[in-house]
Amino acid sequence: MSERKRVLIVDDDPDFVAGIRAILDSQYDTVVAYNPKDGWDALKKDRYDLLCLDIMMGRGAEGVMMARKLRKDKVLREMPVLIITGLREQIAFLFPGQAMHPGFVPVDELVEKPVEPELLLQKAAALIAASEARQDR
Amino acid sequence: MVVTSTARTISFREEVENLLHAEEGVSLVRCVQCATCSAACPAVEFMDHTPRELIGLINAGMKDEVMASNTFWTCASCYACSEKCPEGIRPADLMYALTRYSLWKDTFNRDWVAPEFSRRFTRTILRTGKSYEPGYAPAFIFEGGFPGMVREMRMAVRLLGKGRLPLIPSRIKRIRNLRAMVARVLPLDGIE
Amino acid sequence: MTRYAYYPGCSLETMAASYHVSSMEVARKLGVELEELEDWNCCGATAYSKVDELLATVLCARNLAIAEKRGLDIVAPCNACFKNLWTTNAAMKRDADLADHMNYALEADDLRYDGKVEVSHIMNVFVTDEALASIRQKAGERIKGLRVAPYYGCQIVRPRRPGVELAQADNPTYFEALLEAAGADPVAYPYKVRCCGAALMVTNRRAAVQMLRDLLQSAVDAGAEVIATACPLCQINLECYQREVNRAYGTNYAVPILYFTQLLGLALGVGVKRLGIGKELVSADAVLKRPCAATAPTGA
Repeated sequence: MSERKRVLIVDDDPDFVAGIRAILDSQYDTVVAYNPKDGWDALKKDRYDLLCLDIMMGRGAEGVMMARKLRKDKVLREMPVLIITGLREQIAFLFPGQAMHPGFVPVDELVEKPVEPELLLQKAAALIAASEARQDR
Repeated sequence: MVVTSTARTISFREEVENLLHAEEGVSLVRCVQCATCSAACPAVEFMDHTPRELIGLINAGMKDEVMASNTFWTCASCYACSEKCPEGIRPADLMYALTRYSLWKDTFNRDWVAPEFSRRFTRTILRTGKSYEPGYAPAFIFEGGFPGMVREMRMAVRLLGKGRLPLIPSRIKRIRNLRAMVARVLPLDGIE
Repeated sequence: MTRYAYYPGCSLETMAASYHVSSMEVARKLGVELEELEDWNCCGATAYSKVDELLATVLCARNLAIAEKRGLDIVAPCNACFKNLWTTNAAMKRDADLADHMNYALEADDLRYDGKVEVSHIMNVFVTDEALASIRQKAGERIKGLRVAPYYGCQIVRPRRPGVELAQADNPTYFEALLEAAGADPVAYPYKVRCCGAALMVTNRRAAVQMLRDLLQSAVDAGAEVIATACPLCQINLECYQREVNRAYGTNYAVPILYFTQLLGLALGVGVKRLGIGKELVSADAVLKRPCAATAPTGA
């Protein structure tokens, strides 16, 4: 029996995190960092198979900052990144009715909150599989 | 912080401190409730919770009371509290983090002038690159009722007479680049 | 001739134009060259940090980058602009990830910032030993003995800069030194670094009006004939809303509120009109028509 894959969740919303952990725990070992600084430290310290990353944290869209930093890192650039964001809703008072601009978020996949449990598991599995396929090549 | 056990979640205090991960203040748990921040605050009489009370509420995990509070929207950002805190807490930074969080979570009161003013200000800079005071008038001009509005308009007329009222918004040359720059920091389609 | 990139800030274009013209006049008299920063944008004031700190930072980063391209340090007359530019500068120097992300954004305007600019409040330029000596030497009798309440405001001293002791931040004295060098008589009063309310004038009128009342009373109690400010928001609040204070509290304040550059300009012999004096809603006549000023020229 193969070891369970490890997922790191970086998100500042403990209620949302509790929700997706409940879903992901069925198939993965999950670890949570509630801010990008701790998230980065976790990525450097241990090995993860998938990163679930929030966008709006702390000062602003720090998830974008973190995603860019990952892509520049020799080792971590291979990490599959799934963005799970509530950005549109969070910023709706300031910018009502505006869509996300995917061009500036360098990630593998982006889904918006709230996320369907089935979809989340599907995306997670797909991203991990794709990443493994790349590494085997 | 990094959490591995499934059972544990984090406290509201920790939730707030995560918002402040990039700031230089110490943990809110260090608050000794000395009220120096409240004493230093020039706007404290107009807050439903004083800065000290707010930090006490955060430490007590009273999330709903904190998020419904007008304290951080009444803060003038004068930094007197941060300067004086004997423990090294930075309440001024905390207030900014909470206004942002209250916008993200939509817990602020839509009747308040401060969020609406901030919204108009933000949009104005993205439109022209500079501030334009008359554009903010709708956010506050009715606060004093009809007499208040008349007084505001009277003052505007007097300032106009002295050549001090901006009539045409000023615009920077490279406004389109500024918008493109902002879109890289806040990835929304409509910004550019 | 020292040259600086001059960052006027949005208010100095119209509402506080007198601060702009008087700063230019004083700089000219004291051999300081102020070159307006090319295509500068708003610093974000306090509103931007309330909504998004990364946006607030990128707005200031653009101005820093433009100054760096020009090879000049920045001076800002407004307390808020100064504080925002200074703290953004410090943050980008301290946080490499932040700097990298801001530079990624700045690419959109063909800009980059590598931390080579220093940011000062315009008053800093005029309180160096050399500047004070020059002022002492050049100052005429125009404001001799004038009792001035030096109103620093809040963001010019806070957040405290590294190397500044709490006692210094609580009780700075450089504004007094400037006024003394110009021949005036600065008065001591306890609220010289207390906030004027700033944007609260819009977002929480009652709070700001109370804060102004406290300031005005404190200065009047100390025997001030005029309050000198270092920030357009402070000046506008104290001056344009003095009537509101009187209405709310039944007082009858009529305290002239002038920019420190206007008073300095008077001392250096610059004409009243050139300093933008006369555009106030609270008349500054009491300052101009003092006995010792009666024989001085009033023209442009």
